Amino acid sequence: MEEVIREQYSEREKQSIFNQEFMPHINSMYNFAYRLTLDSDDAKDLLQDTYLKAFRFIDSFQKGTNAKAWLFRILKNSFINDYRKKSKEPSKVDYQEVESYYNSEDVDRQITPDLRVEALQDMIGDEISVALNSLDVDFRTVIILCDLEGFKYEEMAKILDIPIGTVRSRLHRARNLLKEKLSEYAKKMGYKNA
Amino acid sequence: MNSPDFSKMKKDCQNQRECFEILQSIIDGEATPQQKEHFMKEHLEQCMPCYKSYHLEVAIRELLKAKCSQHAPQELVESIRKKVIENLAQ
Ligand SMILES: [Zn+2]
Repeated sequence: MEEVIREQYSEREKQSIFNQEFMPHINSMYNFAYRLTLDSDDAKDLLQDTYLKAFRFIDSFQKGTNAKAWLFRILKNSFINDYRKKSKEPSKVDYQEVESYYNSEDVDRQITPDLRVEALQDMIGDEISVALNSLDVDFRTVIILCDLEGFKYEEMAKILDIPIGTVRSRLHRARNLLKEKLSEYAKKMGYKNA
Repeated sequence: MNSPDFSKMKKDCQNQRECFEILQSIIDGEATPQQKEHFMKEHLEQCMPCYKSYHLEVAIRELLKAKCSQHAPQELVESIRKKVIENLAQ
C-alpha cells in the first residue's frame, strides 16, 4: 500500500474501482475473515469494516496495482487492531517464541510427519478445515494466503509486514504442523501407517 | 509426471530439509524454471521420500482448495454494496 501517493478519483471512478476491482475479491476476503476470526458474525463485521475502510481510503489505492493484495492487507490490519484482542481463541503463543521455534532444530526433527495420500483421500468431511482452524493464527494465515489464494511470497511479505525469509520459514513450519494434525486424524480413522 | 520405477529409487534422502524447501518453492510457483527442471528430473524420480512428499503436498493443497473456501453470504454482499452507495451520496 503506497500511502504516499494519493490519487484524486472522481465519484464515478471511485464507484467503478469499487465494483470492478474490489468486489470481485469479496468471497476470498470473506473466507480470510472467517478463517482469522473463526466466527461467522465476527467475519461479517470484519469484512464490512474492511470494505468500508477500503472505500474511505480509495485515494491511496493506485489503479493497475494488485487490488487483492491491497484489500487483504487492510483486512489483516483491521483484524489485528480490532478483533485479535477480543478473539475467542486461547491466548496467542508469544511472537518471539514462535519465531525462534521456526529456527530451532525442532523444525528438522519432524520434517515429514508420516502421512499418505491415500489417507487424505478419505477425508471427505471437514477434517482439513478443522485441522487448518486449529493452527495458530500466524500459521493459518500463511497457508490461506499461499495455498488458497495463490499469493506470491513477495506479496505475502507486504500483506503481513514481514521479511520474505520469514514468509518461507513460517510456511514451512505451518505445512508441517498441518500435516501433523492430518496424520492424527488419519490415525484415528484407522490408518495404522498413516 | 510418469510413474517412476519405485524399486530403483533411493529409500532415504540425504538433504530432506533442503529438498523440502525447493519442493515448496516449486509448488508455490517461486522456483526458477532451471531449479524446477533440475529437481524434477535429477532428484524427484530417484528419491522415494521426496517423490512421496511432493505428491502429498499437491494432494493437501487440492484438499484445502476443495474444502476450505467459504463464500460470503449474499445478504452481506448486498448490504456492503448498499452502504457504499449511501456513502457516495453523502
Ligand atoms: Zn530427496
